[in-house]
Amino acid sequence: MQVYLQYQPTMDVETWKSQLRKGAAELAVLALLDTGARSGIGLLDALADRPAIGLSDGSIYPLLNRLEREGRIAGQWETPKGGGRGQKIYSLTAEGAAALRSMRSAWTGFRNDLTAIVGERR
Amino acid sequence: MSDATRIEDYLRALSRALRSLPERDRDDIVAEIRAHLEHRAGEGRLDAAIKSLGSPENCARTFIEEMKIQTAFADGGPAKTFGALLALASRRATATAGLFVSLVFFLLAAGFAFTALAEIVTPDLAGFWIGPESGNIMIGAFEPPPVPAPPGEPAPREIMGRWLILFAAGMAVLFFVIGQWLSRFFIRLMIRRKSPTAI
Repeated sequence: MQVYLQYQPTMDVETWKSQLRKGAAELAVLALLDTGARSGIGLLDALADRPAIGLSDGSIYPLLNRLEREGRIAGQWETPKGGGRGQKIYSLTAEGAAALRSMRSAWTGFRNDLTAIVGERR
Repeated sequence: MSDATRIEDYLRALSRALRSLPERDRDDIVAEIRAHLEHRAGEGRLDAAIKSLGSPENCARTFIEEMKIQTAFADGGPAKTFGALLALASRRATATAGLFVSLVFFLLAAGFAFTALAEIVTPDLAGFWIGPESGNIMIGAFEPPPVPAPPGEPAPREIMGRWLILFAAGMAVLFFVIGQWLSRFFIRLMIRRKSPTAI
């Protein structure tokens, strides 16, 4: 019995962390696109020094793909002026902007309440 | 191998792994990953980019899983939604099944450990008996002990004597090891199964 329980804590924290990040990653992407249209690379570069968000090359494109299907963002292939590699540039749709507004207010309430309960590390 | 060849190899494998998707979706994904890899190769960071994307199969699976969930919750019929829910619930079901099966083996181990201890402390009550007619097997510590049997009933035969200590201890270790192995197996099973995105 003890042996089983011994494995439980680390496993649960990892599952919990990945669940926590999934919702947060979506909000982070929508919020970044709200400040201006970006490519997948542009988003990754903006998130490069924020590893806690947990968005990697492997997870951002599937997320963008889903958000585009849901109509929250729109992707447009663009070739830089003067040639070069084409990139798919994503921007927020009206639907995405509305989703961001309600997610942002939900997030603020959630963060405030959770911080009040959990407390911040001093 | 040149960067261009490595990118082509990766994209070919990715496209193969995405074959369950409609061609348009597949081409769209491959085109975007191509742009990503070519951009990183231009920065001299192709190795890191490929490592971060994961194997083509894993990369494809993430796309497919995101898509499945989105389809299920957006416009799926009952079967699709049920499938998606099942995928979500399966982690919990795996955990429950694992907990139950491992628990059975750990309890068996505890029972045998108790029997070994009982044979040391109260040898008269513990034993390995075989019913003379029924062929029933009784292992453990019993109060009252099966021998002597109540009048009129055939007495079962104790066949182990003090060897029961060794036998029961051996069985306890065996069941403990099996229980431990099974709990590890179920945990590996859960970790391998990627949790779908359902937000």
